Amino acid sequence: MGKLLVDSLEYIGGVTLLLWRIIKLIFRGRVYGELLLQQMVLLGVNSIPIAIVVMAFIGSVFTYMLAGELSKHGAANMTGGLLLLIMLREAIPMFTTIVLAGKVGASITSEIGTMKISEQLDALRALSTDPDWYLTLPRTLAAVLMMPVVAVFGGYSAWFAGYITAKQQTGMSYTLFTGQVRLLVDEKDYVMCLIKCVVFSAMLVLTACYYGFQARGGASGVGKVVTTSVVVNIFLLFVIDLILTMIMTG
Amino acid sequence: MIIFKDVSVSFSGQRVLRGVSLHVKSGSITTIVGPSGSGKSTILRVAMGFRTVDSGSVAIDGEDVTSISEKRWTRVRRKMGMVFQHSALFDSLSVVENVGFYPYYVDRLPWRKVREQAMELLSELGLAESANKMPEELSGGMQRRVALARALVYHPKILLYDEPTTGLDPQNSDLVSNMIREANEKFGVTSVVVTHDLQCIHALSDEVVLITGGEGFSIGKPHQLFVATDPRVVDFTQVWRKQMLDYASEMRGETGGAVLPS
Repeated sequence: MGKLLVDSLEYIGGVTLLLWRIIKLIFRGRVYGELLLQQMVLLGVNSIPIAIVVMAFIGSVFTYMLAGELSKHGAANMTGGLLLLIMLREAIPMFTTIVLAGKVGASITSEIGTMKISEQLDALRALSTDPDWYLTLPRTLAAVLMMPVVAVFGGYSAWFAGYITAKQQTGMSYTLFTGQVRLLVDEKDYVMCLIKCVVFSAMLVLTACYYGFQARGGASGVGKVVTTSVVVNIFLLFVIDLILTMIMTG
Repeated sequence: MIIFKDVSVSFSGQRVLRGVSLHVKSGSITTIVGPSGSGKSTILRVAMGFRTVDSGSVAIDGEDVTSISEKRWTRVRRKMGMVFQHSALFDSLSVVENVGFYPYYVDRLPWRKVREQAMELLSELGLAESANKMPEELSGGMQRRVALARALVYHPKILLYDEPTTGLDPQNSDLVSNMIREANEKFGVTSVVVTHDLQCIHALSDEVVLITGGEGFSIGKPHQLFVATDPRVVDFTQVWRKQMLDYASEMRGETGGAVLPS
């Protein structure tokens, strides 16, 4: 218990300092476009296909549960609206982050961890290069900028997969599927989705970088920090999600 | 150029360096020898600002760097370069991108110019054909040469080498030693070489320092390693001494005392 507390405090302190250094670098105009673009492609564009696939299944599952029940009670026209509401408020940011935690978070931690144990981070410093500037800043910024884009693709995928499922299940038309969207969903839900995406992506990358920098020992040391990084990211995702939901819907 | 005064360093509660004093003269090549785990590499890490000292002082190029901030270290390191034991090439970058890292990302020179500069250096080192390869496609010796090129490309005043010839075949080892000597003579680089390689010590050293048990002793010229009577030096070099004597007597036996053809 004592160790867990110490580790948690160390993590909070470490990530806060990392965030502070990143903010300082941004305000000093140290963002390097080329590195940022590389990471936007690697973390963002390359994650779109997996987000589309995963979100299609999520949209389908939610619709499968909603459409049948709502049709029984004569509220089939609420299916699309409720699906969109759930997606925007919760499913898109949550599931996109979970997918990215496995794909992007793990790869960032293992990349930085490997660089640490193979002295590449020291080599960066020996070349008068701040590892935060070269590694953390472009990754954090790229994730924050690209996560909403990935979410948009994932969202559309879930929406269309949901509609196809509803049509297959109950023969619902697109007009009926979207009937109550305007009544159930408003701009605040889109803003909530965007805020969650930005906060979750920053948390995801900062945690992944933080644990990468903590790697020690050999390959098993890197494996250990990758596992910790993914577990902590997913745990924090639920905690921060609850806090944000309480703030934004309270 | 590099001055250590009574430097002590410990980590994980263990004292690694105990009051080490060192004076590396400008433009010289100093080799640091000693048993594994004696603290040789720690000296390089302290000189690069990767480790802080418990006590004592460190000066680089006339500037006291004992307790300066990381930001100031970044400026100090512009005068320095380091070749790491396992090369530490950036595995996500190609050979030419590794070599051009400093001029491109730190000096912010245009890539076309950086590439030209890097290719020139790679050609000198016989690596021009490997310019677009990734580090993992190279042999250990080639990686070491790329690491050296990466450090030489921005002409630092001080170069630190952590076991630059360890694990290399005699030809590559000789090549790397020549490159270190050439950098020293051509650009007046002050070099500190941590090594176990007797050939490298002989080929390079202006001055040899022995580190044993965390303490440092200036030996002088390389041949002093074999004539010194200090028990700590004798203790460290006894295997080398024995090997040399065995080898010499074996050669005398096989050639009947005749000189070997070159």
